[in-house]
Amino acid sequence: MMTAPTAASGVQGTPAALIPGYVAPWPETARDWLARMLVFTGICAILMPIAWILLTAFKLPREVYSLDSALVFTPTLDNFRTVFEPPWNLGDKIVNSLVVAACTVLLAIPMATMAAYAFSRFDFRFKQALFLVVIASQFIPAAVVVLPYFLMFKQIGLLDTRIALVLVNMSIVLPYAVWMLKGFIDAVPLEVEESAMVDGAHRARVIAEIVVPTALPGIITAAVFSFTLTWNEFLFALIITKQDALTLPIGLIGFRTERGDLWELMAAGGTLITAPMFILSLLVQKQFIQSLTAGSSR
Amino acid sequence: MTRIPPQVWLLAPALVFVGAMALFPLGYSLLLSLREWKLARSATPGDFVGLENYILLLSDDPDFVEALQATAVFLVSDVLLTVAVALGGALLLQRVGRLNSLARTLLILPFVMSPALIGISFRFFLNAEYGVLAHGAGWLIPGLKDTVWLADRTLAMVAVVVSDVWHWAPYMALMVLGGLASIPRETEEAARIDGASAWAVFRDITWPQLLPVLAVVAVLKAVFALKAFDTIFTLTNGGPGNSTKTLAYFVYEQGFNYYDMGYAAAAAYLLTAILLVLAGFYLRLVFARGR
Repeated sequence: MMTAPTAASGVQGTPAALIPGYVAPWPETARDWLARMLVFTGICAILMPIAWILLTAFKLPREVYSLDSALVFTPTLDNFRTVFEPPWNLGDKIVNSLVVAACTVLLAIPMATMAAYAFSRFDFRFKQALFLVVIASQFIPAAVVVLPYFLMFKQIGLLDTRIALVLVNMSIVLPYAVWMLKGFIDAVPLEVEESAMVDGAHRARVIAEIVVPTALPGIITAAVFSFTLTWNEFLFALIITKQDALTLPIGLIGFRTERGDLWELMAAGGTLITAPMFILSLLVQKQFIQSLTAGSSR
Repeated sequence: MTRIPPQVWLLAPALVFVGAMALFPLGYSLLLSLREWKLARSATPGDFVGLENYILLLSDDPDFVEALQATAVFLVSDVLLTVAVALGGALLLQRVGRLNSLARTLLILPFVMSPALIGISFRFFLNAEYGVLAHGAGWLIPGLKDTVWLADRTLAMVAVVVSDVWHWAPYMALMVLGGLASIPRETEEAARIDGASAWAVFRDITWPQLLPVLAVVAVLKAVFALKAFDTIFTLTNGGPGNSTKTLAYFVYEQGFNYYDMGYAAAAAYLLTAILLVLAGFYLRLVFARGR
């Protein structure tokens, strides 16, 4: 309900409709009703595609290729079994995706935390320029760097390896992480740090024992964000991998075969790729959203 | 021995890495764009040909012109629609309420989904025989009954835009919600007490204060629209014809379907030029607000 406190009477929460001179443009109830309908429509628009994929993952092929059995069908786990069998071997791809995303996060987040701390706490020459270069590097289109990467990795024999994927994903993730983490570290109060420095503690200890624990929610958020980007990364994996280092998103397009699209398997694979991201993002949701929206207010 | 100042060892790993993995390839592909190099014919780079690749692109390649057109159409409609949906959604969701807080929780879901999967899913939904979305649209709009969406140049572009808006608009609504939360309530309430209509309050008070946030959202979305590849690849493969082949897709195709490295690099550089201009706008907007 829209309420407006009136300064004169000092009454908090007087309904707007009771204030003299206020003309409600529509009856409030009709507006509320319309707003609720719109929100409900929006919720459906977000959930229905997700639900449809989830349902499809539990259907038999013949039920997928007809709308008659859209909602009424006997659920089966066959698809989840099939995708782990040859030739799909989604298990290998899950392992690749997990290893690549975990290594990327474990390497990039400490590097980004250190850099973000330096940008937050020190004044030095070219600071603004260096920070701008880091931030601007996230705007470089993947299409530009993918050619040099491909040729470089080809030359040193790293094509189709997880190492190549980790390197590439680190370069994507690092600028975002530095930017997000600088905001979090800016918010950590200086006093405790300063008193520890006076006591002669080494800078590395101060960071490890004071800054990191205080900024931990932010660090976890940046880690989840980086994990999500790496987990879903598609273009580089498409070009760099061929057989051994294939990741989940590339595994998905394998279900497009000469016999046509195997939607029920795609849906099962899609469920497997999406579920961990939903769980992760809902777990750290509050901070995740705060840091994602930070770009608009900082 | 002098001690290394902390800012140096703190910054070195990240900066060296960004330099090696972002700036070096950028220079490398600039050199590449000045060469003639068809990877299918030779494993080593060919001769320097100066600006020939660029001249060929800009003067004599109908595919490139089509890619520019597709990019422009996609960019404009995608940015406008995303901003409109995000703004509408944020205005609806700024009020408290149980339904609204549920909706706010769900906004994050499309954003963390794999864009490749979103493309695949929409291709499935738009299948002429058994696609839910195709049938739903045919039921709502009789003119679309029995249409093969992805075989029609216009409708294929509509599909690409819709799937991208589905992916991005909820997240952008979160950004706008953040902006709305930072606008002081007092002026709006005072205006309402004075009898201003909801529309007048929005137009004269909320909108001007929200404009900087909307500008940031629009530029950010423009950057990501220019980078968009995954969804287009899995939804339409750039087709039918060249109708949904944007610049990013064009670069991929030249480089990895035709293995024309020099030509692809030149096209990629033109894309980078556009993106850097937008990045400049974005950084100015963001840093101007920070002051």
